[in-house]
Amino acid sequence: MRTAVGMLLSVVLTLGIVGTGLAADFPTKEVQILIPWAPGGATDLVFRALAASTSKQLGKAVVVVNKAGGGGAVGYTEAMQARPDGYTLVTAVTPLTILPHQATTAFTYQSFEPIINVVEDPAMFQVRADSQWKTLSEFLEYAKKNPDMITVGNSGAGGGVHLIALAFEKAAGVKFNHIPFAGGGPSITALLGGHVHAVSCSPPEGIAHVKAGKLRIIALFSEKRFEAFPAVATVREQGVNFTMGQWRGLAAPKGTPQDVIKTLHDAFKKGMEDPAFVKNAQDMTVNLAYMGPVEFGKVMAADHDRYAKLVQEIKKQ
Amino acid sequence: MDVLGSLQYLVTGFGVATTPENLFYCLAGAIVGTLVGVLPGLGPIAGIALLIPATFNLNATSAIIMLAGIYYGAMYGGSTTSILLNVPGETASVMTCIDGYQMARKGRAGPALAICAIGSFVAGGLAILGLAFLAPPLAEAALAFGPPEFFSLMVFGFVVLSNVTGGSLIKSLMMAVVGLIIGTIGLDPVSGNPRFTFGQVSLLGGIEFVAVAIGLFGIGEVLVNVEQPAQVLEQGVLLPRFRDLYPTLQDLKQSLSPILRGAAIGFGVGLVPGPAPVIATYASYMVEKRISAHPEEFGHGAIEGVAGPESANNAACQSAFIPLFVLGIPFAPPTAILLGALLIHGVNPGPAMIAEHPQLFWGVVASMYIGNFILLLLNLPFVPLFANILRIPKKVLLPLVILFCLTGMYSVNNFMLDLWVMLGCGALGYLMRRWAYEGAPLLLALVLGPKLEVAFRQSLMISHGDFAIFADRPLSLLFLLATTGFLVLPLFKIAVQSARRRTAAM
Repeated sequence: MRTAVGMLLSVVLTLGIVGTGLAADFPTKEVQILIPWAPGGATDLVFRALAASTSKQLGKAVVVVNKAGGGGAVGYTEAMQARPDGYTLVTAVTPLTILPHQATTAFTYQSFEPIINVVEDPAMFQVRADSQWKTLSEFLEYAKKNPDMITVGNSGAGGGVHLIALAFEKAAGVKFNHIPFAGGGPSITALLGGHVHAVSCSPPEGIAHVKAGKLRIIALFSEKRFEAFPAVATVREQGVNFTMGQWRGLAAPKGTPQDVIKTLHDAFKKGMEDPAFVKNAQDMTVNLAYMGPVEFGKVMAADHDRYAKLVQEIKKQ
Repeated sequence: MDVLGSLQYLVTGFGVATTPENLFYCLAGAIVGTLVGVLPGLGPIAGIALLIPATFNLNATSAIIMLAGIYYGAMYGGSTTSILLNVPGETASVMTCIDGYQMARKGRAGPALAICAIGSFVAGGLAILGLAFLAPPLAEAALAFGPPEFFSLMVFGFVVLSNVTGGSLIKSLMMAVVGLIIGTIGLDPVSGNPRFTFGQVSLLGGIEFVAVAIGLFGIGEVLVNVEQPAQVLEQGVLLPRFRDLYPTLQDLKQSLSPILRGAAIGFGVGLVPGPAPVIATYASYMVEKRISAHPEEFGHGAIEGVAGPESANNAACQSAFIPLFVLGIPFAPPTAILLGALLIHGVNPGPAMIAEHPQLFWGVVASMYIGNFILLLLNLPFVPLFANILRIPKKVLLPLVILFCLTGMYSVNNFMLDLWVMLGCGALGYLMRRWAYEGAPLLLALVLGPKLEVAFRQSLMISHGDFAIFADRPLSLLFLLATTGFLVLPLFKIAVQSARRRTAAM
């Protein structure tokens, strides 16, 4: 009898532990965020700040590890192969849905489970303050009459803002002359020096110069107006049905248990709401935009298809 | 900006920089910078990035004082392993390997190390003057460089600098071509298509410059040394005598002009977008060799070949703050990381920054003076200590060098391919030494090649394929004419000489 009760008890206990399952035990050690780019970039800075505020929520340290190389492909390949136990995460950023179209990569966005989206950068075109085009309609009208004559700089061939500029010219029915630069900084320098007519970029690129009155936002591709410049209307408001931006979130290798994903999601969501992190993000002019796993997964899927077509187009050139 | 007003601000800046707290962060930055500079592979980029999270709770001024200290501190430390072991501590120390290492082999490691510290101090100080008083106009001037100007400048740099060490011209050009070819590996900068990656994902990002530099110089040197007879390997490198630890008056006299010229070259190059410190060191070395009364000593331990480039890289790294602060645009990776640090502290650098954050700007400028002074005090006493590393028997020292190179390189990107590239380049470096091929032109081509290609293709895209764009822009035309002059003048000289000889013979 006693043994039977004992057995029953132990079964209940075991079940209880298994039932509350991994989520209760998780995490028992530090959680790593793998960043497929070198330290110091926007993604790196955002997630280092978020790691600091989320460590408090998880009760274990969240550590950032940079694994640069292959324009991000090296880091994603490694993250894909990591054990799906929730202890190795990777930053899921727009290039995750671009790289697989440019080269034969082992991964696509489907190799990962979305956890949370943290940032959505509004994409935009900027021109010099003294530019001959004062409004979006003047700009597009000139572009229609003079196809291929307006030079639009971007931060790198096949990168996010380049592809966004390509998608925009389709939506607007015009043709620009796209000039790739090695990063957002050099493209803004060229615009300031008057070597290109416009640049396609994402904040914080160029924002200081817009504030100082040297540059102007001539086309804004976000859904809502940009907080820092409430007077600038989006292109959709002005009749061009087009929105596109770049996201930065977190994902885990495929096969990570759903309850672990939920624990991580909840902790990072609280980390995002930490006032210290919110202030860090504001200071960097980073646009926080929370999305849960399901919604984030849908955005990745949609952009994966969208970029597939755009990449095919520049490859033909 | 009027000079008196600036002076007043600078005095306020010293008030900010000399608070005990900020002095502490300045010292911390200088020490960390020296360390990351000394360790091969680990450079200012990794050093700054790793310490950014530690500054989250500091105020913006203290944070930038410390992080800036890491950057220029690394320029001091970078020369150490170049001189002692022929391993460039970071990318801007490649040229220091050439004469610095030869000085060490002649027992003059001490003077070489000391002159680096002194030159860095003088050049750094002069460059900060420029930063304090001329920042806004200089930054505006830098904007005149668009793709066509940049291309022509690169061509000029390429032609003038590729035979920098002055060996066989054919061999130098061959090495430059190898560098150009290696530079094309990775994603095509215009179409984004992979080039020469053979389907390897790990090659998409291209070949890491630091890995090639350490491999060619450091690992290659170790392999050459291993060939020596066993009894040589039991000994250390030629031991410095105590009185040889610090530079003589003669050394200082010889170094003064190279330091000043290096400062000017470095300051100017630092304002141009691109890998300024590396190019500045090549340019300075070239100039010193050209105008030297004894050019044959270069490559065999000429102190001018150490003093000039080491001053130039420090000046370049100080003037690189000008576009960062005034335009909010980083021209090179280390300042790109500093930009991130500024943003995270709520400072958005740009045309309005000096007016909006005078405390920060002038505080940081003042701290640079203090930091450079701290670095001088910090580095000079270490000279005997570092020089004594050469007492270690080679059979112990050489494996240690390999160990440091491997761990240092891996710590930069945590990327295995970098190690294989480094070891492969080590083998290549060994063969190049055997047959007297220079590593410097290869490295220069690897740095400049991709930038040259991008600027060329950008220019032609802007002009819709019209080559006239390079001649239409005055600045671009100027550089092209200078390049032509540089190429034609020697031929002209030869023609004149042979004509004279013919008349003399008649």
